[in-house]
Amino acid sequence: VRDAFFRALARLGAADERVWALTGDLGVGLFDPFEAAAPGRYLNVGIAEQTLVGVAAGLAYAGKVPFAYSIAPFVTSRAHDQVRVDVACAGANVKLVGVGSGVSYGTLGPTHHAIDDLALTRVLPGMTVLAPGDPAEAARAAEAAASHEGPVYLRLGKNGEPTLLPADAEFRIGRAIELRSGGDVTIACTGTALREATAAADLLADDGIDATLLHFGTVKPFDAAALIAAAARTGAIVTVEEHSVVAGFGSAAAEILAESGAGALLRRVGLPDTFAHAVGSRDYLVGRYGLSGPDVADAARGLLERDVACPTT
Amino acid sequence: MSMRADLRHEADAVRRIVLEAALAAGTCHIGGSLSIVDILTVLYRRTLRAESGDRFLLSKGHAASALYAVLARAGVLDAADVIAGYCRDGGAYAGHPERHVAGVELTAGSLGHGVAVALGRALADRADGRDSRTFCLLGDGELDEGSVWEAVALAGHLAPPGLRLIVDANGFQGLGRVQEVLSLEPLPEKFRAFGWVTSHVDGHDHAALACALGAPARRPVAIVARTIKGYGVPALEGEFMSHYRSFRPHERDILFAGLDEVQEAA
Repeated sequence: VRDAFFRALARLGAADERVWALTGDLGVGLFDPFEAAAPGRYLNVGIAEQTLVGVAAGLAYAGKVPFAYSIAPFVTSRAHDQVRVDVACAGANVKLVGVGSGVSYGTLGPTHHAIDDLALTRVLPGMTVLAPGDPAEAARAAEAAASHEGPVYLRLGKNGEPTLLPADAEFRIGRAIELRSGGDVTIACTGTALREATAAADLLADDGIDATLLHFGTVKPFDAAALIAAAARTGAIVTVEEHSVVAGFGSAAAEILAESGAGALLRRVGLPDTFAHAVGSRDYLVGRYGLSGPDVADAARGLLERDVACPTT
Repeated sequence: MSMRADLRHEADAVRRIVLEAALAAGTCHIGGSLSIVDILTVLYRRTLRAESGDRFLLSKGHAASALYAVLARAGVLDAADVIAGYCRDGGAYAGHPERHVAGVELTAGSLGHGVAVALGRALADRADGRDSRTFCLLGDGELDEGSVWEAVALAGHLAPPGLRLIVDANGFQGLGRVQEVLSLEPLPEKFRAFGWVTSHVDGHDHAALACALGAPARRPVAIVARTIKGYGVPALEGEFMSHYRSFRPHERDILFAGLDEVQEAA
């Protein structure tokens, strides 16, 4: 995902001279193609995330389209006041890019895990929040971010994510993609959790359970229509995200479902309101904290086996 | 009218709008607005060249009324509208400025944001080959914010030629005198150590301000302006409580006692 993003960024820099690339002293060698394609429009501000975001805002006020890159918690949490005031409140055309979604940084530990970045960005008025699920989608999301006028947070995984989406999949901000259309249960996922959601749908299919698989490359604005339609069809929704279950993608889904009156059962899979203190790789931590494909499939089975609580008279 | 008298008259006109607006709204933050009136008056009347794309960013957002007032005098905003709409229900002018207001270049209020944003603008100018200047004003208490020094360091390193920082050194911050809370003196030496050109002026001396603000330089410049909080209102001058005190209509004479009785030019 990361490499696909940087290839797209270099293309964007070559095509549009308003595009700048800023980094908070991270990304060894990754900006070389951009520098070659867009000389004079790459800037390393040093280890200074508040300045990263503030300078990006200043460039945006001058008509530029800056991409400000760092590890996800550093650009969203460390510099949150600049994101809130200089970017969101001012409506600046800044593209924040956070690499290392969820527990992608594995053994580096909780300081580097992004378990709250969706919460911190989606709460901000006017912010568009993108979380692509595979390399090709990361490139398309970067292009969509550049074309969109206004603040964007682009949440990237790290590297090595498999190709999971159809080659001709379209990326439209605010639109979910329906990858399967089963009638038994809905698995709704975002970002790099697409891998676990896809695995879960396969496991369920092996058991004869037909799942709808909805991938949300955009967390905000949320594709409520797609979710409500799936809820109406299946009556049971499992959300999957590499993020805390608090205030992220599953919470957004819960808000929409509760107000829609769709009456679907809901189970949120994500980090269960904990930092990932355990030490291990991304895949280890995904299993350890209950986000693996089998965990998601179990959550879906649990919804299907649940007794229905009807009002008694 | 001589340049000197003209600027003095103009600064008083700005102060009148600041005081009328504060009185109409019954609001505070008067002292820190008054301390920058002379700086902004010289900046907007003598220094900023609209044709070159010069711009001003107010980082110490709590002095918004001074910005609105000087923008009103410059014809960007309407003075009566500012007085009627500052910190009022349904008014257009909040206690801290926002970019959607005409003439306001920075959404401010959370301190320590302005330098990095100004640096971004100055870098864009340099990349585009414009000789515009970006002026950014912050308070001496605001210098406590670490984000200021991140950006000061990077600006000294990258050295875009159009960046100008003005420190309104009125000597007071939230809970007391800067010297007692967190002294960062000597200020000019600190900026010089980060690679900035510096100057040090009396922030109420119009000729000195015009010289310092307009001085040509090929690096970022930090102008440390020594000011008096509440300047122009004897009851507020140098008073810590000038940050917090508000006035009722019957106290009007206290506010306007220090201003010239010069009539507005038609």
